[in-house]
Amino acid sequence: MTAIEVRGLTRRYSGGFEAVRGVSFDVERGEMFALLGTNGAGKTSTVEVVEGLSRPAEGSVRVLGHDPFAERKLVRPRMGVMLQEGGFPPDLTVVEAARMWAGTLTSPRPVDEALSLVDLAHRASVRVKQLSGGERRRLDLALALLGKPEVLFLDEPTTGLDPESRRNTWELIRALLREGVTVLLTTHYLEEAQALADRLAIMHRGRIVAQGTVSEVVDAYPSRISFVPPEGIALPVVADVDSSGRATVRTNELQATLHELLVWAERNNVELSGLDARSASLEEAFLAIAEEAA
Amino acid sequence: MRAVAVGQAELKLFWRNRTALFNSLLLPLLLAPVLYSVDADGVPLVVGLIGFALLKAVYYNLVTTFVARREELVLKRLRVGELTDPEILAGAALPSVVVALGQMVLYTVVVGVVTGVALPSRPWFLLLGVLGGVAVFVLLAAASSAFTRTVEMAQVTSLPVLMACLFGSGLVFPLSVLPDEVASVLQYLPLTPVLELLRAGWADGPVLKPVIVLAVWIVLGTYAVQRWFRWDPRR
Repeated sequence: MTAIEVRGLTRRYSGGFEAVRGVSFDVERGEMFALLGTNGAGKTSTVEVVEGLSRPAEGSVRVLGHDPFAERKLVRPRMGVMLQEGGFPPDLTVVEAARMWAGTLTSPRPVDEALSLVDLAHRASVRVKQLSGGERRRLDLALALLGKPEVLFLDEPTTGLDPESRRNTWELIRALLREGVTVLLTTHYLEEAQALADRLAIMHRGRIVAQGTVSEVVDAYPSRISFVPPEGIALPVVADVDSSGRATVRTNELQATLHELLVWAERNNVELSGLDARSASLEEAFLAIAEEAA
Repeated sequence: MRAVAVGQAELKLFWRNRTALFNSLLLPLLLAPVLYSVDADGVPLVVGLIGFALLKAVYYNLVTTFVARREELVLKRLRVGELTDPEILAGAALPSVVVALGQMVLYTVVVGVVTGVALPSRPWFLLLGVLGGVAVFVLLAAASSAFTRTVEMAQVTSLPVLMACLFGSGLVFPLSVLPDEVASVLQYLPLTPVLELLRAGWADGPVLKPVIVLAVWIVLGTYAVQRWFRWDPRR
């Protein structure tokens, strides 16, 4: 079943600038879909329309079968939103901000439970203005979870978090996905999308330029083998040598090419120092796509 | 009433904001000496003080509040929740309105006792004036906040409404000292019909026209808010 359906979405700002141009994607129930892109690619502009904050200039959006803008009343009780930049009055304490939010919801979970989920229970009586940037992100996540949402929107959820908090947040998101929550994530941490997302789309200048599962997107890009080539002997494979003298071989058959290279090295008794072989990662795919599209 | 959750939070913030607290609770006390200089009829004084509370405690305070919450991204955050737009505005407006109503009751009782004002003969017009006035100035505050970039700027952007109402609605001097043509125009200002309705609580003043003018202002205010109100900061 489809939780989110976006068709030909275009968003125009009052100056006439088109931030999103004809974007389409589906998010199935219980899956995580990640929107990736460079800064200014249109991720947040897209997500804000899907959340129902504004009406699309063209195209249509359905969340759980409803128009999130016109039928806000039907959709909002079933969704949780963590904005890229959302605010709480700086002079409220953490628990006061959470209680305020709970008071606006149809069927909230206990405030203590929501704060515990994001490891903020011990900061309950601290004023919002005294929280670190990462703690503020976690408070925002706690509020997004307070209404026990079926669909969760996470816009850059781990920006400003230390590595440990980021891992904890990932674990929390995985647990939510196991419970059947649908998640639409935007992030500029590619490893975050690679670790969590079932499917993803890469946006560039308002358009989706690649879409699919992580492996579908990544498999289109070659694996890489790099090393410092031995001197005075020609390599058996085609390689680019960069200014630091490091050679990079691109291949769609990593195992075979690596084997060929290693056998060659042993036969000639040369060392491939700093040898590094890796399958294409989302990062490489992303950089290649950004370069192509530029 | 889900908006009350926001109102309670706002009330806590109000209590923690020393400047707002001082202005709202202490300033009225400074008006006390004025009371003793009044020896004539207390009704104009009560009406004037209620008008003053609408301008200061409702209108000016709320321009500041709406701008502050917008710039703190609080309004944007609330807007992705379950509350409707009117509920968000009502919640944010609640403490200012409660404080203003408290001031009005205080003024009426104190001036009433000191100058011996009779009980209003038609209290429902008094009530209508107060409630209509609160509605109009909450809406005008929301509309003004759209043209106010920062909390500091509220001092400037609120001036047109404040000045027009202070000097044009008979708050500082009675409209009867002005030429008829001018006075007949000024009766269409948002505060004038409110004051007329308040006076009508005690005397047989006209009520139909002020009710209509007030209703038109509420419609205009609602339109202006729908058209111009900004939920997130200007970029």
